[in-house]
Formats: sequence, structure tokens, C-alpha cells
Amino acid sequence: MKEAIKNITYDALVIGAGIAGGEAALNLANNGYKVLLVDKELSVGGKMIMLSKVFPTLDCAACITTPKVSEISRHPNITIFTGSEVSNIRKISENEFTAKVTKHPRYVHVEDCTACQMCENACPVNVRDQYQFGLIGRKAAFIPFSICSPKAAAIDIDNCTLCGACEKACPTNCIDFTMEEEILNLHIKTVVVATGFKLFDAENMPRYGYGVYKNVITALQMERELAPTRPYNTILRPGDGKVPDKIAYVLCVGSRDASVGNPICSQICCMYSIKQAQLLMGALPMADVTIYYINIRSFGKGFEEFYQQAKGMGVNFVKGKIGKISEKEDGNLILRYEDINEGKLQEAEHDMVILSTGVLPNTGIEKFFENQTLSLDPFHFVGQTDALLSPAKTSIDGVFVAGTAIGPMDIPDTILSAGAASSEAISYLVEHP
Amino acid sequence: MEVEKGKTAKYLREKLGGIPEQAKENLKEFNAIKKKMLDALKEEDLTVKQMSEKIGMPTHEVVYYLMSLVKYGLVKTGEIDDMDEYYTYKLNK
Repeated sequence: MKEAIKNITYDALVIGAGIAGGEAALNLANNGYKVLLVDKELSVGGKMIMLSKVFPTLDCAACITTPKVSEISRHPNITIFTGSEVSNIRKISENEFTAKVTKHPRYVHVEDCTACQMCENACPVNVRDQYQFGLIGRKAAFIPFSICSPKAAAIDIDNCTLCGACEKACPTNCIDFTMEEEILNLHIKTVVVATGFKLFDAENMPRYGYGVYKNVITALQMERELAPTRPYNTILRPGDGKVPDKIAYVLCVGSRDASVGNPICSQICCMYSIKQAQLLMGALPMADVTIYYINIRSFGKGFEEFYQQAKGMGVNFVKGKIGKISEKEDGNLILRYEDINEGKLQEAEHDMVILSTGVLPNTGIEKFFENQTLSLDPFHFVGQTDALLSPAKTSIDGVFVAGTAIGPMDIPDTILSAGAASSEAISYLVEHP
Repeated sequence: MEVEKGKTAKYLREKLGGIPEQAKENLKEFNAIKKKMLDALKEEDLTVKQMSEKIGMPTHEVVYYLMSLVKYGLVKTGEIDDMDEYYTYKLNK
């Protein structure tokens, strides 16, 4: 049965439950405002919850994120809708917006699920696990990842064979294939856009061979290989399961490159690559790690020291632009590059290549809004009307922006931006009671 | 109509008029690969390359399926070779 359309009212709608949206929601909620936090994914935590460690402190990303996620999930003033999407936002008066929220069916009653994984064990299906970036399989009845929130199973209905094995195995009868899409009409007073970023699709640069050469992977895939909840028992080449010993990083893949439509610096790739290089040297002490770069931009607090630390550990830095990657029969890769310091073309062989892909805007956010225009900047990130003095203000009064929806930024800057957005939203709510 | 708890998959199957064809094909393929790999490991412990030769599957696909079987607890990781390059994989009995 399709459920009837419900009307719900909150003070604030926060779109995106990554670290920016989560932080903004928490600040609003701690000030007594009722917040609806919506994310299209099955868990809150965004991309940060998937990382291994963070730069420049090398703190465990999961250890930092999970207490915050838990605080957000348990807060009495925050309602979370995962697997849901926002649309049709209309400003109907000075302090009132309406919006539509579509909740996609999870086919599991989250409040009854104990995350016992018995459904997962019973499910016969195997499909590529999107939360391990395709490096390994998962079931169609699955817990998205071990530290997800809500910690509950979900059914991937597109790949489910409807065999019913999960239902039979479930001790709490929380699996329910009668669930349907639910549409809710929402009334809110303010909106925070925290829709984050997406990564450049490396297949758009065919000369690097991503998707064709199996030992060319992205840095986010390496991030999973380095995480405690990794797909393999150790660092392995996905092409043949070999433990790599000569690893190359290619920086600025899809950033600072007008030829692929993204001329700006992604701000995080240098540092996350240096972080991964250090972690790799810890995980594989005999490995050689080389970073091919155009410029190392270690601009933040403690970043330059972190870069120097990597050099001291033996990470090899080569100022060179990679022209082409080709594959040998044994799966090793030949990198042809311009050695900028020497001023000549060189070739080097590595057995695994990691592409440090750049940050791109999530497109289509402006289409959420119906009767007002959300302005974008020239690179299609959400535009700031006063970037210097009110960095969270957008072209719509009462709509604020937080985190990487504004542009590339690292984790501390994202948290600061979320603080700014929530402060602006609170001021707006006080001014427009 | 009230659908009995624990039997709702049947409800959706009937509502959709069967099982999605793609899902059925994927399951058939995975079951065949799983059987081949587990049968091969019954005979001896194997590296990815050896498994690839034995069952005639590209090495990158062997990595994906074999690691999935490790995750599901059917296979476990064995020793690494003398060159510290390739692990062997064995049945998790």
C-alpha cells in the first residue's frame, strides 16, 4: 500500500548528512531548534566515515567520525532520513519554506533491526560493494558498512532475487518487502545546503588507463585498502592479488586541468596522497612510493611539516606531469612523464598506480529550488553572495551553504564552514521567529 | 490486504510478476563461479594466478570473486610466497 502523503514541520532542513551537514545540524539542535537531516545514502557520515586516517595528524577517521555520528543520531532535536531525497523547495514567505522529501524504501524496519547480519549470511547474491568502491562483493541484503549509522540492514532491490532467504533468517522479522516509496510535505523556516562534492571520474582521462589497466586505482580505493575495515587482508593489486612494492601516485588527475573542464586546484589531493604514502610505508615497509606532482600545495596548519616528514620517511617526490600510462604483460605499468626539473621526457616502471582524483561539484543542487534561484559560482559550486564577510550566505535569503558544496576544502575547514552556516541559520531563525 | 510477516518477498515477487531477469542471471553466474573456485580449492591451495589458470578466468576477476568468498567466510588467506608477493588461498573448513 502506498502510504498517504504526510505533512511534517521543522525549524531547519539540512540537506546532506556528511560532516558539514552533521555539524550544522548538531549546532542548530544544541540551540533548541528542531532539525530534519536528509541524505540520499543509507548512512550518515558522508565521505569522511569511509577514510582510513586524516592528515596531518594521522588520527583514525572512523574514531573521530563515529562519536560525532552517534551524537547526531541520538540527539532529540534531530530527525534523520537516510535513503531520501529533497526536491521542490519553495519560499512561501519571509520565514517559511516548503519542500518535498522522498523516502526510498529500505525494505527493513530500522528500529527493529539488530544488525545481526543473519540476513546477509543467508542472501545468496553477490554484487560489487559500492562502499568498498567495487574492490569486493557484498550481498543484496547487507549492512552498508561496519560503522554505518543507522546500523541496520538494507535490501538492494535492483539485485535482489526475492528468494525470501533473508526474511526466513531474520530473528526480528524486520525485513518487509511491502515497503513503498514515501513522500512527505515539509514546512521549514531555514535550509542548510551541505551536499558535499563528488570525485572526478578517472575514466574521463583514458590516457591513464583507469578501468582498463586493473592495477591503476583511485586514491579513494586505496583509502579503503588502508582502512581497518579494508576489503583485502593487506594491500594488494586488484589486477592479480600481488603485494605491490613499487607504487606511484599521480597528482592533479582531473584538477588544475582545463582540458577536462576543471581548471581549479582540489586543495586536498597533495595532502591525502602524502598521508597515504606515509601509511603505505607503514603497511609495506619494503615498498618504494613515488609521488608525481606539479606543485605540492601544503598550505594548512602542520601541512608543510607533514610533507617534510614524508620525505624523511623516504617517499620519493618527482616534479613531473604524467603524459601516458601503458601496461606490461605482467600487469606492471610504464609511466611516461615530463621531468620538469630535468626538462626531459622520462619513463618509469611501477607495479601499482594510484590516481589522486580531484574534487568536483555535485551538480543539480540549484534544481532543488522552485521559485527562487540558487546561484552557482563559475565552477558550479554553490555561490556565496559575500564570501569574505558572510561565507555561508547564498543568493536565497534563509538558505545557507556549508562545506564542500562551496568548493574544495579539507576536514577542519569543512567543520569551520558548517559552524558558520549554522550560526547564520540561527541568526536568521532569531530574526525571523 | 495484510501480508504475513516473514513472507513479504513472495508478495513482491507476485506483484512484480516474477524475479528481475538481470538479478537471476547474476546469481546464476556467481553460483557457477563459486562452485568452480571451491572445487578447485578442494584439490589444493592456490594463488590468484594459479586459480586463474585452473578455472580459465582473468586474474582481476579471480581477485574480486576470491576476496568476496574470503569475506563470506568460505575461503581463508594462507601463507605468502618466498618472494613476499602472492598469498595462497584455502578452503575455510
